[in-house]
Amino acid sequence: MSKVEGTPITKGAIISTKLNTNESIIEFLKKAMDKKVFDAVLVPVRVPAGDSFAYVLIEDKSLLKDAAPLSPIMSVQGAKAISGMTKLGKGNMKIGAVMRPCEIRATVELTKINQTNLENITLISMDCPGVMPISDFLKDPEKSMKIYEDAVKRSDDKIMRPVCQICDKSSMVSGDLHIGTLGAKKGTFFIVSNSQKGNEVMNKLGIELKDNVDDWRNKVQDVFEEKHKKREKSHKDLKAKTTGLDNLINTFSKCINCHNCMKVCPICYCRLCYFDSDKVKHTSEDYLDQAERKGSIRFLPDTLLFHMGRMMHMSLSCVSCGSCEDACPMSIPVAQIFSMVADETQDLFDYVSGRSLDEPIPLVGYKEDELHEMEDAK
Amino acid sequence: MTMKIGVYICECGPNISEKVDIDKVIDAVSSMSDVAVVDRYKLLCSSDGKKFLEEEIKKHGLTHLVVSACSPKQHEKTFMEVCENAGINPYLFQIVNIREQCAWITEDKDEATEKAIRLTKAAIRRVRYHAPLEKKEIECNTDVLVIGGGIAGIEASLQLVSANRKVYLVEKTQSIGGLLTNFEKTFPDMQPSSALINQKIQSLNNNENIKVFTDSEVEEVLGFFGNFEIKVKKKAEEEPIEFDVGAVVVATGSNIFDPKKTPQYGYGKFDNVINSLEFEKMNLSGKISLKNGKIPKSVAIIHCVGRNEKKYCSEICCMYSLKFVRYLTNKIPDVKVSNFYSDLCLPGKSYQKFYEQTKGNTDFVRSMDVKITEKDGKLNIEYKDETGKKSDLSVDMVILSSAIEPTSDASKLAEIIGMSQGDGGFFAEEHEKLGPVSTSTEGVYVVGSSQDPKSISETMVQSEAAAGEILSSLVPGKKIEPEVKVSHISESLCTGCKTCLSVCSYGVITFNEEKKISVVNEAICRGCGNCAAACPSGAATIKHFTFDQIYQELMEAVK
Repeated sequence: MSKVEGTPITKGAIISTKLNTNESIIEFLKKAMDKKVFDAVLVPVRVPAGDSFAYVLIEDKSLLKDAAPLSPIMSVQGAKAISGMTKLGKGNMKIGAVMRPCEIRATVELTKINQTNLENITLISMDCPGVMPISDFLKDPEKSMKIYEDAVKRSDDKIMRPVCQICDKSSMVSGDLHIGTLGAKKGTFFIVSNSQKGNEVMNKLGIELKDNVDDWRNKVQDVFEEKHKKREKSHKDLKAKTTGLDNLINTFSKCINCHNCMKVCPICYCRLCYFDSDKVKHTSEDYLDQAERKGSIRFLPDTLLFHMGRMMHMSLSCVSCGSCEDACPMSIPVAQIFSMVADETQDLFDYVSGRSLDEPIPLVGYKEDELHEMEDAK
Repeated sequence: MTMKIGVYICECGPNISEKVDIDKVIDAVSSMSDVAVVDRYKLLCSSDGKKFLEEEIKKHGLTHLVVSACSPKQHEKTFMEVCENAGINPYLFQIVNIREQCAWITEDKDEATEKAIRLTKAAIRRVRYHAPLEKKEIECNTDVLVIGGGIAGIEASLQLVSANRKVYLVEKTQSIGGLLTNFEKTFPDMQPSSALINQKIQSLNNNENIKVFTDSEVEEVLGFFGNFEIKVKKKAEEEPIEFDVGAVVVATGSNIFDPKKTPQYGYGKFDNVINSLEFEKMNLSGKISLKNGKIPKSVAIIHCVGRNEKKYCSEICCMYSLKFVRYLTNKIPDVKVSNFYSDLCLPGKSYQKFYEQTKGNTDFVRSMDVKITEKDGKLNIEYKDETGKKSDLSVDMVILSSAIEPTSDASKLAEIIGMSQGDGGFFAEEHEKLGPVSTSTEGVYVVGSSQDPKSISETMVQSEAAAGEILSSLVPGKKIEPEVKVSHISESLCTGCKTCLSVCSYGVITFNEEKKISVVNEAICRGCGNCAAACPSGAATIKHFTFDQIYQELMEAVK
């Protein structure tokens, strides 16, 4: 269970409603704004053209009607929105941010490396059914909306992105509040709190956290087990296809060096990526040398090195959100490969990215007694 | 100005010339860009060799120098001095180790030559990217922080003040004196412990150059040899006390192993099973007695308690156990004392004699699998003798001679100071023989039983050694040259993640809240490179080990 939740949550509130999940979340936000618990909310909103969704900071309650907490696609990773909003300071507005668990986990990672300031932000997640690949959605946005809604109703993940289909942390609570729909009786949903901040919000809203939430927990555990099994199998298959230099080269040879995967990645937070810097630009004499040595050299060079370098840099914090794969114009299964590697590197340090703010990123910690399996064979 | 690189290959007598075809190396590198001159010499580190190099630099108007010779550990500094004397910046120089790394280890002459060529070419390419670095000199502080007010810390302090140094002595308990204040006598001379320690405390109290902080703990140690910034927190006081020193002596002593971890001895369960320190205190109080107030008629001393658990011999337990025999037989005339031991540790010129003089007053039982039970108010010792035969002995009192272990807060202190802990959690010395009291952090010394279980005499030797090292290296008026190969954080690349702050071993990186970037204090940075290795955005770099320098060197080496 520890992989699903930061801390085991046993109590929460069961709320009765006639509304669907999206509407319930909006109603909750409205109430919180009415009671001045939040001055504004950050939530996905469908763009006027109707063909995408964007994070919008809403201060005018009347605009909440356009919000789509359960948007069918993830066009911008929420952690990037939070970081963009608070990196230079917390500001003086209390903000409620509604995001998917993986977006909150990425936010937690960014907070550990000083790229956000969460002091005035309340992070609210929900049981995530997954999102569609952006390219699928764009084929016919109206039709896609219906397909998505329908799939969510039937708990069918086949239309979701490949990493969503194998996501075993889709109900992980690492923010302040979480809205649970799994295991809820018809016409109800759960709200649980994961922090003092969450408790205070509920207190101000007059909602007591005293209901038993075993039904939600049990269902979450079922989903976790099912998805986890699927994840392991999928990673095993993928590993067979990508292990070894030849397989790696084959997998990434389509790459056109656009670096979109890096640009949309919430964890890639460097001001200037090493692979965009002058450090990877060499004289033609150098390239000739290389061509002479290897017989030939591909241009632009270093595509595989870029992916491996990025993996080295961010896999310990990768939350398997899938943004990179959505952004790849060449349909390379980047997110699946990165999630596979991330699971293994994080396991090495007993670390789960974004699980808790209290777990320092492994890079900054040093233990004398660790990683013996990496030592030379005796 | 155009670049003119001079490349010189040292024959090192026959050392290099026999295994490396130097003419081939000269041929191979002569055509490289900007190489103005390539030559060989029989022994470049000799006075003639140095003179030759200096003249060559001047004659050819060289701007950069590459010397293919021996290990930089041996002669890098020598040739940097030559550069300085000849008027070029010593950092526009690169040494190549073709002796240890080619001539001495490669069997085949052709292979050794090929390797020497590659390494020399790599250095020539690297040196083109070198930048001149300027040496600095800073004043050093000659005051010393001594942590721990036991005999080790007191002795080090007294030695230092006798040479007019100022000492800050920090003791975590309410008074100085340490473990010795619990002992009536010391082995093997059986002289009163109080005479030794009280006299030392007296001289310490009378010296105005020693500032003693009791009830205090060191909270922060930043900086480096010659310039440490210290924060000490006194119990019951809000603000830490801050001062600067040039060196630190760690003398935090030891604890004894808790016999509760070896339940077979019944410690904590049976009243009259006591540990060695409790016995010392009881003896010092003047009355050796059982819990019920009666005088024990028979006492067993169990040796090596915790030895299996700790996995080392604590060195002094045999001797203090013999001292206990003396205490007992002197004070209780008809007492029967039995020692249960597995091996005796009696090294040196005086310990054997002490044993010979004591053994007549006690039984020595070589035993294993000792187990203690209680029967009719008496303690029963079950054991196997040397032959494996089971046996037992009934006694009134059992003293457990516990192993010596580091104090429980040793790890905390190790982290604060940046020292490493070695076997058993004791503070690690730099080298068992070559640096027995220095540590891997320059300017931090370790003495006494925080480094290893130790007798008082061995402790005194170490304390005096550390004081000697400090007195000869931190000299008033002498300036020290700080590292010039230091870190630099690029303002435009730093993204403010603070990763470097947490990995900096010397605490010299601070965060500029206004600009949201990290800033290195280059004056006190030691150039360890942790920040450069950890910085995800490539903002932190180490001078003289820049990306370009390393990349160019590698590219040439693998070409």
